[in-house]
Amino acid sequence: MKKKSFLSRMVRLAFGFAMLTLLLMGAVSYRWMVISDDSDRWVRHTHEVLSNIQDLALAMESIESATRGFVLTGKESDLDAYRANVARVAQDQATIRSLAVDTTVQQIYIPQLQVLSAERIQRAEMVINLRRTKGFASAMAAVASGPDERDTEFQALIGKTLDKELLLRTQRVARTDGYLSQSKTILILGILLGISITGIASWAAVHDSDKRAAAEESLRQSEDNYRGLMEAAPDGMVVVNQAGEMVLLNAQAEKQFGYRRDELLGQKVTNIIPEGFAERLIADGTRTAAEALAQQIGTGIELIGRRNDGTNFPIEIMLSPLESAEGILVTAAIRDISVRKNAEMHLARMEERYRGLMEAAPDGMVVVNQAGEIVLLNAQAENQFGYRRDELLGQKVTNIIPKGFAERLIADGTRTAAEALAQQIGTGIELHGRRKDGSEFPIEIMLSPLESAEGILVTAAIRDISVRKNAEMHLARMEERYRGLMEAAPDGMVVVNQAGEIVLLNAQAESQFGYRRDELLGQKVTNIIPMGFAERLVADALRPVEVALAQQIGTGIELHGQRKDGTAFPIEIMLSPLKNSEGILVTAAIRDIRVRKAAEEHLAMKLEELSRSNRDLEQFAAIASHDLQEPLRMVASYTQLLARRYKGKLDSDADDFIAFAVDGATRMQQLIQDLLAYSRVASRGKDLLEISSEDALRQAIKNLGGAIQESGAVVTNGSLPNVLADESQLVQLFQNLVGNAIKYQKGGTPHVHISAVMDANRKWTFSVKDNGLGIEPQFFERIFGMFQRLHKREEFSGTGIGLAICKRIVERHGGTISVESQPGQGSTFHFSLDATALKSQQDSEVVLCQ
Amino acid sequence: MSINVLLVEDSPGDVRLTQETLRNSKLPITLHVATDGVEAMSYLRHENGNGQSPRPDFILLDLNLPRMSGREVLAEVKGDDDLRTIPTIILTTSDAEVDILRSYQLQANCYLTKPVRFEEFETLVKSIDDFWLTKVKLPGRGNASD
Repeated sequence: MKKKSFLSRMVRLAFGFAMLTLLLMGAVSYRWMVISDDSDRWVRHTHEVLSNIQDLALAMESIESATRGFVLTGKESDLDAYRANVARVAQDQATIRSLAVDTTVQQIYIPQLQVLSAERIQRAEMVINLRRTKGFASAMAAVASGPDERDTEFQALIGKTLDKELLLRTQRVARTDGYLSQSKTILILGILLGISITGIASWAAVHDSDKRAAAEESLRQSEDNYRGLMEAAPDGMVVVNQAGEMVLLNAQAEKQFGYRRDELLGQKVTNIIPEGFAERLIADGTRTAAEALAQQIGTGIELIGRRNDGTNFPIEIMLSPLESAEGILVTAAIRDISVRKNAEMHLARMEERYRGLMEAAPDGMVVVNQAGEIVLLNAQAENQFGYRRDELLGQKVTNIIPKGFAERLIADGTRTAAEALAQQIGTGIELHGRRKDGSEFPIEIMLSPLESAEGILVTAAIRDISVRKNAEMHLARMEERYRGLMEAAPDGMVVVNQAGEIVLLNAQAESQFGYRRDELLGQKVTNIIPMGFAERLVADALRPVEVALAQQIGTGIELHGQRKDGTAFPIEIMLSPLKNSEGILVTAAIRDIRVRKAAEEHLAMKLEELSRSNRDLEQFAAIASHDLQEPLRMVASYTQLLARRYKGKLDSDADDFIAFAVDGATRMQQLIQDLLAYSRVASRGKDLLEISSEDALRQAIKNLGGAIQESGAVVTNGSLPNVLADESQLVQLFQNLVGNAIKYQKGGTPHVHISAVMDANRKWTFSVKDNGLGIEPQFFERIFGMFQRLHKREEFSGTGIGLAICKRIVERHGGTISVESQPGQGSTFHFSLDATALKSQQDSEVVLCQ
Repeated sequence: MSINVLLVEDSPGDVRLTQETLRNSKLPITLHVATDGVEAMSYLRHENGNGQSPRPDFILLDLNLPRMSGREVLAEVKGDDDLRTIPTIILTTSDAEVDILRSYQLQANCYLTKPVRFEEFETLVKSIDDFWLTKVKLPGRGNASD
């Protein structure tokens, strides 16, 4: 390449010189022509001047001779010649003057010549006039006495002028000759030089073109070879010239871009590779195209290819130069890297995910390659070792873990790296970490392999076990002091620091939670008590640790413990503070309260069972009484119909029997109705609302109107409060109590007084006081039982359900009922109801009572 | 011309009691008995051999019946343009609030509970006789006592 350009440059140079020489020669010849023309002119000029001067001299001679002739003859005709020669002199003088303008020497002579010739003509004129006037003699005398010196002077001047002109001519000819010989020499030399240069140049050109033909031939051959190679290449190949046009491409390139070959040839390469390729071919201010290209050669450049259908796909191109007849071409090997890109993206995503996981990990995480270099780490690791990420990436892991880690990555004679690693996977290895400031701290690392594009990487989870180690040390110091005490305790004991980490525990705690001591030391207490304990150690915005803790000290807190096997069990913990050099520790006495809890649960279950059976019973009572009523109604109705139609028509026994049957049926109907009424206290009870107890009493009195009128009873009351009650039941309660007060009398006028007072528990105690029969104290309890009667039916009717219903109503309202009485002194029934002020509390009590 | 009463009642004891009580009425009453809801509807719609059965002037309806309950009978009667004008009185043992409310919602003309005691039952039937059959003007009959 270089040689060729050198040769052509030589040829170009040679031709340049030849041209230059020719130009020079042309110039010289021109000058020569100009000079010779000039000198010709001068020679002609000189000759003209000379002939004119001679003609002038001749004319002057003719004037003289004509004058003399006239003098001799006196014939006027002889003067014609004279006159012609005077005119000739004037003409010659004018010609000489114009010719001698350029010669300074002649300019001196010519005026003198003029003056002299003018003088001579004047004298001739004078002679002619004398001849005419004075005649021949005087004229002859004038001719003879004529001043000959003037003639001589004129002749001399003519001679001088001629000499001068001849000298000028000689000088000019000599100078012209000099120029001519000089030019001749230059011309000869120039021709010789031009011939030789042309000769050399044509030799060189012929030589060069021979060589080039040979080179082109070999290039064509190599191009053919190259074309074959290109088609065989697995990648798309495109050859591009410096103008960025495609001059060659292979079948793979056609396939890749979806064009036919003829659609691409001669087209701009930007059609298929819009950006990044063409730019690389072009020279800029600081470098040539070849240099620009040279910088790209051999390196894979990732670009985007565009298919015929407009879709884009990622490609990698490798450029290489290709010398050709048309200059430097660029061969681009184009590889479709969609798959690789996808894989890379996938990998990047995976890595991203992994990175996210890593950052979320509570431990420091460091990923190391087989060369022991750190390739990835998380923020925790940065914190642990006090380095910035960029200070560690690519560095040897021995910088932060001087011993014991890197060695584990390395294969030895008997095992591969993978095997070496496999033996370490999943086991905690205790080593020492070194911080940036040089300080060391105990760590535990857990290794796990991570397969990646670069081979097997090792992820190391690094836990700072300073606390644990400190705890171990602490344990060693404290154990003697506390061990005896702690081990003697009947409960599990766990000592926890402010970070919630277990620093001490006893054998009972081990057995309670199913862990070995070393499995718990340094671990978070949340591992064994997931909720409710660690939170209590933590200060919040409103209170410092001490206060937070103080609030918990000494009170039993019921929580759940979690065993190693994952099962939970109920515990009660008692906290107490333990001040030491590291701050406040908390000792938790942990009691397994499974038994107590079981008992409590058992109790709750029993309660639930009981209330269910109660409900069942009530339902039973309701259904039974309702369904029993139907057949009983038949019995009662038909015995009564019998009694009506056949009384006195059968015998007296029959009448008695029918009467008993009627009575039994009727009583049974009453019992069933009472039972129904009793069960309805619960089943038809309404919500408790704030009502006026006085209104309820008024209604009850109204309902008892007949009985009161009949007995002439006097019913009075004190001021009665608003209470929380089911109004219709409160009415029934008053009705039953007042009804009883009127009913159980010895014959006098019944007096009934109802009053209410508030007791210390903010409950209203109502009293219904009468002046009736009174009750014996041993019956105080019994009278509230179902169907309990203290009198014969003949004395007082009724089934004995009234007070049972009263009791049930009061109990449903969360109150109690009792009686105070002396036989013969009247009775006072007391019952309590909730005041309305403490509504929420009452509601909950009511729920409990139900 | 006698008054036709349809008694829908499954209990023979109650049927007889009603018959016995109505026997003393001053009016000529013809009591037709259906022992369940299906039978009652057949009677009212002249189906299944009830082609000649006279249209009742009055229905006494128990609620708890086999096959088709009194509530369904009531709903059908009051939903039928032709039958809805027949006064229908519920006579049942139930005194549940929900039954009373539901019956009136279905446009029962009156709701009565069967009294437990015979005398009361007797009084009740007599009062039906006295009020519904004697004093009340029934559709298509003018004054009942005429």
